[in-house]
Formats: sequence, C-alpha cells, structure tokens
Amino acid sequence: MEPIASHENWRNCFSEVAPGLLLFARQWVQSAADAEDIVQDAFVKFWRRNHDIHNRGLLYSAVRSLALDFIRRDARRARREATALAGAEPAIEPHFELEDDTQSALAAAVESLPRDQREVVVLKIWNDLTFGEIAGALGISQNTAASRYRYALTNLKKTLQPQ
Amino acid sequence: MNDFSELENELRKLRPAQPSSVLFGRVGEALEKSRASAAADAKWKRWRFTETPYSNWWSLGFGLAAAAVLILFAVVAVERRYDQQETVAQSSISPETQPAQLGAGRSTSPSRFVPAGGTNLVYNARNEGLHFADGSERPLRRVRYNTQQTWRWRNPETGASLRVSYPSEEIVLIPVSVQ
Repeated sequence: MEPIASHENWRNCFSEVAPGLLLFARQWVQSAADAEDIVQDAFVKFWRRNHDIHNRGLLYSAVRSLALDFIRRDARRARREATALAGAEPAIEPHFELEDDTQSALAAAVESLPRDQREVVVLKIWNDLTFGEIAGALGISQNTAASRYRYALTNLKKTLQPQ
Repeated sequence: MNDFSELENELRKLRPAQPSSVLFGRVGEALEKSRASAAADAKWKRWRFTETPYSNWWSLGFGLAAAAVLILFAVVAVERRYDQQETVAQSSISPETQPAQLGAGRSTSPSRFVPAGGTNLVYNARNEGLHFADGSERPLRRVRYNTQQTWRWRNPETGASLRVSYPSEEIVLIPVSVQ
C-alpha cells in the first residue's frame, strides 16, 4: 500500500473528495452539519492511518460505518426533535447546488431512489468510484453494485420521462 | 450502459453541495491534534520498545547478579551447617562400623571412643522343654532368652558418647541330671 505523501497535502486531497463524501454521508443523515462531522471523523481517521488515497473504498466505508453509528446513537434525539418539530415545516438542506428546474427535478428523482440504489449512484457519479471500489465500500459484490446502479438509472429514467 | 450515457452526463452536471468553509479548518485542527498525539504515541512506543529495555538491561543485570550472590551465600551457609552435622554423624558411624577399634580406645584422637559400659536386659525367658540333642543320651532343657543389649562408648577428648542398643535372642541348652 502506497502511503499518502505527507500531512501537508491533505487540503488538496480533501477539497477534491469532500463534496462527494458529504453527499454520500447525507444518504443517512439529513443534517449537513452532522454529515460534515461524519466526514471529518472519517477523513481524519483515514489520513492518520496513512491509507493510500487511491484505496478510496476504505474512506467511503469509514464514512458509511460512522454514519450508521451516528444513526444508532442519535435515534433517540431524532425522535425527540421530530416530536418537537411535528407541526413545523422541515427545513431540508439541499444536497446539490441547483441551477434550474431540470436539475431540481433530477435531484428530486435521485433522492426518491431506494437507499441501496441511491448510494451506488452517489458513489459512481459524484465520487467516481469503480464498481470494485463501490463493492468494497458497501460490503457487497461487484455484480450487485453494478446491478443496483443499472436499476437506479432505469428508475431515474422512468421518473424523468414526460408523462 | 450506453442507453444511460445521456442520463449519466446529466447527473454529472449536478454539483453536490460544497462543504462549509469551517470544515477545512476543523479537519486541519483535528489532523494537527492527531499528528501531535501520534507523535506522542510514537515517542511512547519508542521509549517502551527501545529505550526502556536498553536501560532496563542494566538494572536487570544488576538485579540478577545480586540475586546470584545471595543464593551463593545461602548455599555456602547451608553446606557448612550440613558438613558440621555430617561430622557428628561420622563420629557415631565409625565405632559402629569398626568395632575392633573400640577396644583400643586409649588414643587421644578426637574420633576415637573408649568403651564406657554395657547392659544386657533379659525381658523374657521361656522354657521350651526337654530335648535330646544329636548323639546325646541325656536330655537337655532348652531355654530361650529375649534380651535388649546396650553398649556405650565415650570420647574422652570431646565428651561425646555413643550408645548402641539392639534386641537379641539367646537359646541356652541346660543338661538335665536324672537321678
């Protein structure tokens, strides 16, 4: 395993992967701040252990693992907040920087995908992971990753087709 | 996958929300902390696995040497005490194994003993009746004595005494005169 060059170039690396990592983390947590916490923890762990940055599957796996831990730990708080905000309009922070209605529709279609398909699409499209890396990050087979991706795109196409 | 290439291009045009500017500062801070703690860990590990054993070898060596000296002293002391005990035992064995020398006890050698007395205690006598010995025309009364014989020797130089006591059995044939 080729180690990461040095501690000084973490900023370049992080600025490249951070948006995709945040999007991936937000598959589990709605709050952008929570997603940032998760990404921070995962990246620091990954960087500290000098993982090869080309072995990105581990980084995404760490994000996923931390996000699942966060959900378990935060379930009680989430229920309490949901009860408190029952009457209020939930403020959903956008996952994408949208430019027009077409993109809004596309983003909404992505968010409506089942989670297992959506996470494969997020890793493939916005994080440029191969199916092998996706399989490693999600703990599934490469064929499963590819088929989930195919199902996701089929569903998106159906959703976006004009009625 | 070619059927989806257009859709994939559209999806790629979507730009994920950018992280907040403070996130970079937080990550940098966390990395700095982790680097400091990693350096401390590395120092600790180096101390544990290199310096500590090296310095400990000296104390371990001194400790082992001191323990060896103590054990040596203890062994020597025990052996000397044992030798003294053996000398006494040897003094008692010598007359027993060499009774011929007991009589010549006038020597002034500390290992020589002179006879100092003896007793023959008969604690049982049994008349076993009349018997005719081989070739004898007269009857003989056979009497069996059970005795406890004790002999004492004394070393005039050292004042040590030796006593040997053992049971014995004696059969006496007494001619019977018939009138």
